[in-house]
Amino acid sequence: MDALIHMLFGCLLALFCYGMTKAKSRRQVLALALAGVLAIALIGPPPARAQGSLVAVIQSVLNVINGLIHTALNSINSVRTTVSNLYQQATWPVALIGQAKAMVTQMIGRYRSPMQTIFDLNLNSATLPNPSALESVMRDHQINDFSNLTTAFASTYGALPATTATSPADRTMMDMDDALALDNLKTLKESDAADDLTLQAANNIENGASQAAPGSAPFLTASAVASSIVSQALTQKMLAAELREEAAHLAHENALRKRGAAMTGDVNAEILKLLERK
Amino acid sequence: MRKAIDCVKGGLRWAWRHKFRAVVLLAASSLLVPPPARSQFLDPCCAILAAGLSTISSTLSNVIGGGLNNILGVEKSISNFEQTVVWPRHLIAQAQSLVGNLQGLFHQMRGVMQVPVNSATLPATQQFEQNLLSGNAKQIDQTSARYTTVYGAVPSATAASPQARNMIDITDAMAQATMKKAIEIDALADLEIQAADQINQSIQTAAPGSAPIIEAQADAWLVRANAYTQSATADLMRVRAIALANDSENLKNGAANATNVQQQIYNLLKRQ
Repeated sequence: MDALIHMLFGCLLALFCYGMTKAKSRRQVLALALAGVLAIALIGPPPARAQGSLVAVIQSVLNVINGLIHTALNSINSVRTTVSNLYQQATWPVALIGQAKAMVTQMIGRYRSPMQTIFDLNLNSATLPNPSALESVMRDHQINDFSNLTTAFASTYGALPATTATSPADRTMMDMDDALALDNLKTLKESDAADDLTLQAANNIENGASQAAPGSAPFLTASAVASSIVSQALTQKMLAAELREEAAHLAHENALRKRGAAMTGDVNAEILKLLERK
Repeated sequence: MRKAIDCVKGGLRWAWRHKFRAVVLLAASSLLVPPPARSQFLDPCCAILAAGLSTISSTLSNVIGGGLNNILGVEKSISNFEQTVVWPRHLIAQAQSLVGNLQGLFHQMRGVMQVPVNSATLPATQQFEQNLLSGNAKQIDQTSARYTTVYGAVPSATAASPQARNMIDITDAMAQATMKKAIEIDALADLEIQAADQINQSIQTAAPGSAPIIEAQADAWLVRANAYTQSATADLMRVRAIALANDSENLKNGAANATNVQQQIYNLLKRQ
């Protein structure tokens, strides 16, 4: 690049000298001199900078590095160190995480087995064969022996009378009462089975909690809440069964009341007829 | 040599004859002469620049490099802590797998609660029972008619006293409303189980940062479920209150009937 510039200058100088020797009048010399000055002004190198200015620039760069940037980096380092300490000492102290997991494990050991033993106690209390069979099938937590329940129920409470043995209204009501009683006993068997599964879910969640990390615990919490929703829904199903039972009880009494009113009307009519005859 | 001396002499003669041109050429030559080259060793400007750049380089290495290294160390420590203590990948995967396992239990519970429990044997009671156990809110419209088929209608005005008819009607109404509520609660419980299933599925694909959002939604569902349970409990209390009121009404009727009988006997004795 430098060689090119020097060649250019050499060419310009040679051209200028040639033009100056060949100029015929002062006016031409003057014009040539002006053109030369203009060319020098346009392509001349920029003025050199003072040494003092360069030192100042370097010093200012050093000042920025040692001042502003150094301070900023120190501040960032200080903040990140504080955050790290906060995480490790206040938010997620490893010792307390370990302590929490140990407590979960300790509580599993202390409570689970005794509670399960209490829950599994045999509550059956009937003494005669038929009621014993009914009680046993009612409390077995199985959902594949509903026919046994129906049979045991009929053995204890009797079967529906024959058409000739009772009025159609009574028969219908007996069948409805028996049906709702059996429905609820079956629903309770289902509920018992679901209850066992709910307890299993609770155990699994607790086992998971004993090995969890702060970052994995929210999964277990969310799933525990979902399990609570299911448990609440099962409670509602039992409540619905109880509502049916209570309503049927009320309806049964009311049906008897209706029949009583009808019978009272009939008796009144018969007495009136009897008095009229006398 | 002689030629060169002649040439210089010729040039000087030309300059003497053309003084103006010679002055202009001299001035132009002095202006157009290229500037002297700067030596790296002798130019003080280059030396200062080199020293400055060297100082900047060492300052960058010490101040910025050192500071960044310190920050890197702290960041590595935080990253390591977060990956091994707070959010260890294998424990997150383990928790997600456990949630999948719970999903299986949910399905089993759902299956258990869907086993039919119907037990009626007569046509009318079978239809009524089917309606009561349907868990289908659209079938609530048919409940009253099926109830009347099984338990009978309110007696006509000539067949019973107004007081007895009122009591029978309110009792029937309460029994029917409670049965309808049972259908409604069954339907709601089924939807809640579906929702819990869906929530549990979404937990399996969640991240530790998004799981609390799902948990918040699950909490909302739990609150809702509690409200439905409260509503069902309220209906249970209502039906029991009506049963109690009926018992009381029976006592009141008994007292009134006893008074009437006493009066009739007194009248009969008076006549004789």
